[in-house]
Amino acid sequence: MKFIKYFFPFILFLALMVLLLRGLSLHPSEVPSPFINKPAPSFQLPSLFDRNKMTSNQDFIGHVTLLNVWATWCVVCAEEHSVLSEIAKNSNVVLIGLNYKDSQAEAIKWLKKRGNPYHIIGVDQTGNSAIDWGVYGTPETFLIDKKGYIRYKQIGPISPQTWEQKLKPMVEKLQKEE
Amino acid sequence: MRIFFIILLFFSFKVFAAQDIYQFDSIQKQQRFDALTSQLRCLVCQNQNIAESNAALAIDLRKQVYEKIQKGENDQSIVNYLVERYGDFILYRPPFNGLTLALWLGPFLFLIAGLSYLFYYLRQSKMRE
Amino acid sequence: MFPELGRFALILALYFSLVQALSPVWGYYKKNSVYFKLSKMAVIGQFIFLSFAMLSLIICFINNDLTVLYVREHSHDLLPLIYKMGAAWGGHEGSLLLWCLILSAWTLAFSIFSSLFHPDQTELQEKILMVLGIISFGFILFLFATSNPFQRDFPDNVIIGNDLTPILQDPGLIFHPPMLYFGYVGFAIGFAFAIAALIEGKLDKEWAAMCRPWIILPWAFLSLGIVLGSWWAYRELGWGGWWFWDPVENASLLPWLSATALIHTLIVSEKRSVFKGWTILLAIVTFALSLIGTFLVRSGVLVSVHTFASDPTRGIFLLSYLTIIIGGAFLLFAARIKYFYQAPHFKLFSRETFLLVNSIVLLSAVATIVIGTLYPIILDALNAGKISVGEPYFNTVFIPIMLPLLFLMGLAPHMNWGQQSFSDILKKLNFTFFFSLILGFFSPLLLGFEFHLLTGLGLFFGIWIILATIQYAYQIFRTQHKIPLQNWSMIVAHLGIAIFALGITINKSYSTEKQIKIAPQESVQIAGYHILFQNLATSKGPNYKSIQADFLINGTRTLTAEQRLYTAHQEFLSKPGISTNIWRDIYIALGNSISDDSWSVRLYYKPFVRWIWFGGIMLLIGGFMSLLNYLIKRRVVKHEIH
Repeated sequence: MKFIKYFFPFILFLALMVLLLRGLSLHPSEVPSPFINKPAPSFQLPSLFDRNKMTSNQDFIGHVTLLNVWATWCVVCAEEHSVLSEIAKNSNVVLIGLNYKDSQAEAIKWLKKRGNPYHIIGVDQTGNSAIDWGVYGTPETFLIDKKGYIRYKQIGPISPQTWEQKLKPMVEKLQKEE
Repeated sequence: MRIFFIILLFFSFKVFAAQDIYQFDSIQKQQRFDALTSQLRCLVCQNQNIAESNAALAIDLRKQVYEKIQKGENDQSIVNYLVERYGDFILYRPPFNGLTLALWLGPFLFLIAGLSYLFYYLRQSKMRE
Repeated sequence: MFPELGRFALILALYFSLVQALSPVWGYYKKNSVYFKLSKMAVIGQFIFLSFAMLSLIICFINNDLTVLYVREHSHDLLPLIYKMGAAWGGHEGSLLLWCLILSAWTLAFSIFSSLFHPDQTELQEKILMVLGIISFGFILFLFATSNPFQRDFPDNVIIGNDLTPILQDPGLIFHPPMLYFGYVGFAIGFAFAIAALIEGKLDKEWAAMCRPWIILPWAFLSLGIVLGSWWAYRELGWGGWWFWDPVENASLLPWLSATALIHTLIVSEKRSVFKGWTILLAIVTFALSLIGTFLVRSGVLVSVHTFASDPTRGIFLLSYLTIIIGGAFLLFAARIKYFYQAPHFKLFSRETFLLVNSIVLLSAVATIVIGTLYPIILDALNAGKISVGEPYFNTVFIPIMLPLLFLMGLAPHMNWGQQSFSDILKKLNFTFFFSLILGFFSPLLLGFEFHLLTGLGLFFGIWIILATIQYAYQIFRTQHKIPLQNWSMIVAHLGIAIFALGITINKSYSTEKQIKIAPQESVQIAGYHILFQNLATSKGPNYKSIQADFLINGTRTLTAEQRLYTAHQEFLSKPGISTNIWRDIYIALGNSISDDSWSVRLYYKPFVRWIWFGGIMLLIGGFMSLLNYLIKRRVVKHEIH
């Protein structure tokens, strides 16, 4: 069947179409985190409400944590805030905030106005700690297990569906781990 | 919907920071800075390197590269630092490893294969005459 | 009113495209030539109504009709009139309408001129109109299904327009997309020719002669479109770059490369009756690449500064359309290509072989760009991680692949058809070869510049092509006492590539750049030029505020660099000041203010940068020469027949 070679362009083309079809359901500009299933990068930042108090990786040990990177100038973070408040109320996952390249005074005002769902908030004014975590935008949220390992990174805001369908099951699974 | 939020997230950056100009004490350091920053991707832009972007993250990353050059780190260690945190996606020059073998060698293989097939085919026809 | 009229015009255009596609089929069964005439009338009808639709859209912009969603997203009350008109094709829906209109314009041109110059080829023309009708129908359907430019939305509150992105508010916007589309879309005709040939089971000299202008003209327009895009980016983006290997730029280069290969195999098919299979394949591939490019820009599959806002349903529609049209074409190819097989009757060392090598190298270049552009998607789809493939990759891989071609370009015109003696060609060209080698590698040294291997290589290839081509021209002149227009077109086009290569080589090797802090009345040196920062002024435009910095070069010429703030969305845009002459550009971009009076400024010295675009323009001229030659020849033939 030497005429098989004439089908070569057709087969190549079909492979290309399949690839492009698959490409439609991908997110080409999302950067995956290289820290999945690895220990969280070490950090130590002053707390937003008390400069003398520090938050660090120690705060992850013993429970499941959501580290949420946010700022007052981030429009979408305001929308995410209500979802975070619900999570703080209805779940026993610990919410830790990372206030990213922001004004402390503004951040305090922002939280006073909307309520504070965070157990503690670290202030990263320069953005250097965030770079250590591979943060490239806001909001971003890291799911950290009891041993301080990062298990999942949420890029973009947590919507109610994202919480119900994706994060909540993962949190519950991790809470059962030792 | 996701895409909408991500685009919104990009526009959350209001860049009013002054343009950073880094002075180096040697021309090699300047060249290294230019070469490195032109090969690192600005992760919040739509296809720009950090040398040319004015996004806040690009400015921060440029600062990191500058500080590391001044501290005496070599190019490989600076690149490793960023790849550890952001993955291979931050490199505009893809790494050469098992996964990217087809990428780097593919074009040349294609050319060689095409030319080989051509000469083989013409030789064959010549013999048939 | 106009949105509704526009929409209605689109509906009529859709029906006309259906008539255009189906009449030839019906005419084949009824064996009646009136159906061919009907098809041609449908072509005219389609063009009239698509023009009207486009005009309606432009009127909506001029009237600032914000109830039309598309106008609201891309326009603003204060937007200057000319950009309101350009905005009509600045967004996805409008640009698609432009695509359909240009396809219709090409179809009309084909319908008129091919009948004029080849009145006896009605069977071929019918099939071509049928294929073009099917393509039109699909695209207009796409407009209806997912991308209606006339979509209306009546909001409850007062609304203002979203404004056109500042970077698009430039004359380049008016011309760059239409030129590109005249290129991309024009290749549909070549595609239709190929399908017609496959259906008929034959490809003769008449087919090849008839087809040629319909490949060369879109190719020339595409060359111009790419040049305009590059020149526009150079002026707008403020970093002095002219090519970024951005996915959308790559998408426009792909059909250009394939079409270049096609032009060459077409010549051989016409003159020597071989390469018919290649010609047909390349004609299909070229249009396929145009469509794939259209897909990539609109589907969200790639991230690029150029992409239109994406929507997965558009992607799915385009993919289905692509699969049907191109997949169908490749299946037809597989089934029928055996009828075109011709045993090669040329020797291994001959012009034919080298032209085949030309096709293979160009297709390798296409493969390179496709691999590089799609590789991130491949890895991501296989869950193997995410990588970026950018400029460093393409520069490293693409250039070596293209180098053999630069060498062949000088060599191949001197080769004989059928058989070329190796010693003959050696004798003919060895002086030229060594002279170019020496000149290329040593001229920088002679002129006092540093020596770089790659610079020498680039100069060698450029000079080699120029000298070998001039030698070829001289030879023709010696034997024929004139140079026919057909040969001129090749000479000009090849010289264009040489000038392009020289421009790139010198620009890349000897550009310099400075980033500094500077206050008015201070000065700086770059590349031997003395630049004085004269003064700063503020001014206003129709929809922006601007700060203008004047610079004096060597005490004689003034340059103004601007920083604009567009009021609609508080977006900044830096407009560099450029001083141009044939040998270099001095390029100054204004950054942000650093203190009370200091500013950050970037200065660039860019030697030979205009050569890059001038080379592209020469390609355009070469293409038009070939077209002129075709017209003259056809008129002569016409006169002879009568």
